[in-house]
Amino acid sequence: MGILIEGTQITKSFGGVTAVNGVDFHVLQGEIVGLIGPNGAGKTTLFNLITGLFSPDTGEITFAGKTLKGLKPFEICRLGIARTFQIVRPFLKMTCLENVLIGLIGKEGQTSRPQAKIRKARNIMQITGLAHLETRMAKDITLIEKKRLEVARALATGPKLILLDEVMAGLNLSEIQQASELIKKIRNDFNVTILWIEHVMGAIMKTSDRVIVMDQGKKIMEGKPDAVVADQRVIEAYLGQSDA
Amino acid sequence: MKSSTIWFSVAGLSVAIILPFFLSQYWLHVMIISLFYVMMASSWNLLAGYTGQVSFAHAAFAGVGAYTSGMLSVFLGVSPWLGILIGIISAALLGLGLGVLCIRMGGIYLSLTTLGFSEIIRIIITNEDNWTRGTMGLQTPGLFVEYSKTGYYFIFLAVAVAIGVVIYKLIHSEWGLTMRAVLNDEIAASASGINTINVRLLAFTFTSAIAGLAGGLYGHYLMLVTPDIPSLGQMFLVLAMAVIGGMGSFAGPIVGSFVLEILSEYIREWGEYHVLIFGLIALAMARFAPEGLMGLWINKRKGHGHTN
Repeated sequence: MGILIEGTQITKSFGGVTAVNGVDFHVLQGEIVGLIGPNGAGKTTLFNLITGLFSPDTGEITFAGKTLKGLKPFEICRLGIARTFQIVRPFLKMTCLENVLIGLIGKEGQTSRPQAKIRKARNIMQITGLAHLETRMAKDITLIEKKRLEVARALATGPKLILLDEVMAGLNLSEIQQASELIKKIRNDFNVTILWIEHVMGAIMKTSDRVIVMDQGKKIMEGKPDAVVADQRVIEAYLGQSDA
Repeated sequence: MKSSTIWFSVAGLSVAIILPFFLSQYWLHVMIISLFYVMMASSWNLLAGYTGQVSFAHAAFAGVGAYTSGMLSVFLGVSPWLGILIGIISAALLGLGLGVLCIRMGGIYLSLTTLGFSEIIRIIITNEDNWTRGTMGLQTPGLFVEYSKTGYYFIFLAVAVAIGVVIYKLIHSEWGLTMRAVLNDEIAASASGINTINVRLLAFTFTSAIAGLAGGLYGHYLMLVTPDIPSLGQMFLVLAMAVIGGMGSFAGPIVGSFVLEILSEYIREWGEYHVLIFGLIALAMARFAPEGLMGLWINKRKGHGHTN
């Protein structure tokens, strides 16, 4: 398995706050990598740097051997990186089907016929469990459905890598189970590599091949899930240092 | 296309075609002016209602079309038809330029910049009176050798219908979908692979070209081109028509244009106050029926008459 995406010494500051501080990371082709860390660790900022919403102050990100420097978000998406948003951003005044179609239009432009796109969009909605919502406005569906819709829209762009930002927040146990299945399915059936941020520890530990831990802008640890949960630095980042 | 849409279109067109044989010259004039506003309000709605770019330069682009064609025919003897075509191209190029300038801005900043541009155009036209005859107005030739109001009516009708068809096709195409995505959430659209800058620029350029076309025709109909065409008063009238008719819907601006133009004939004697009345109606609509007359109509047909 080759390296799909790699970041070296990524730093990004906002005013006096260094949100991401000298982070090195990589994701291999076909991997499911979890990105965890307490609130404010810089996880979402890292996503925004990868997808071109911000550009890093220093450091460089390469994707499939090409640098992402200076590329706009839509160009990065067309290279094969799709994402969902922590605070969901579906197109509220459009139907769910139209939301998914936008991903297909972004990827295929005018190269395919509208009818062909609609067929593909329906197929993606089927897989993500949204088929029954086709004609509903995105503003009228539940938060959980909105999160799924973002996954569907991201899948529609035909990505090689998908960045999922807390898609499981607010889900109950069985829904978490379903979401985990969906993530594995995306990797196995669509051959999409996954980097995901999650606070639901059970799910991220069970589903990820590897976990990267961030705290206060820095990467403090990475490794197999069971090694990560046993690591003293990770426990301290989450629970604080012991006084003894 | 829904069957009701086809039915309304066919019925509307049939009425429009037989109408001039029943109307007085005065009401025919009102219809021609209404059709000018249909072109203006529909294209402005495409820009503001579908991509969220609330431009105040739309009347200015009509002025560019009217003066380009007017000056070409007066000073160089160019045929009005060719002049109108050159006017369209001038408006499109200026629209593209202004669009590029505004592209990093959104919301109120774009509105203010276009407002400034609009005033610049008006001031230049008013002051360069060697070329434009300033506030006196530029007398331009008509489209026909022999003056015929009915002829003008059918030209305006054909162009307005053609513009309507193009806009309808556009908003129901994938381009229309991407425009709505940009309006809904520019960041999410961009993250989904949509070149949002292209979408906004295309809308700016295309709608400016339509305003140039409308302005060119209007100038050769009135045969007197004055700085009233690119004025903000004109702009706010177009805006009121789109808002009262229903922004973001296809039929809204068309309905708004006819309603307001016909209404303004009845309250013309109130002079400048009739613009004030339109402002108040637009405000009330924005507060109580933000989707305009079309929104009220659709809600009523759905069986729940309230709007909120």
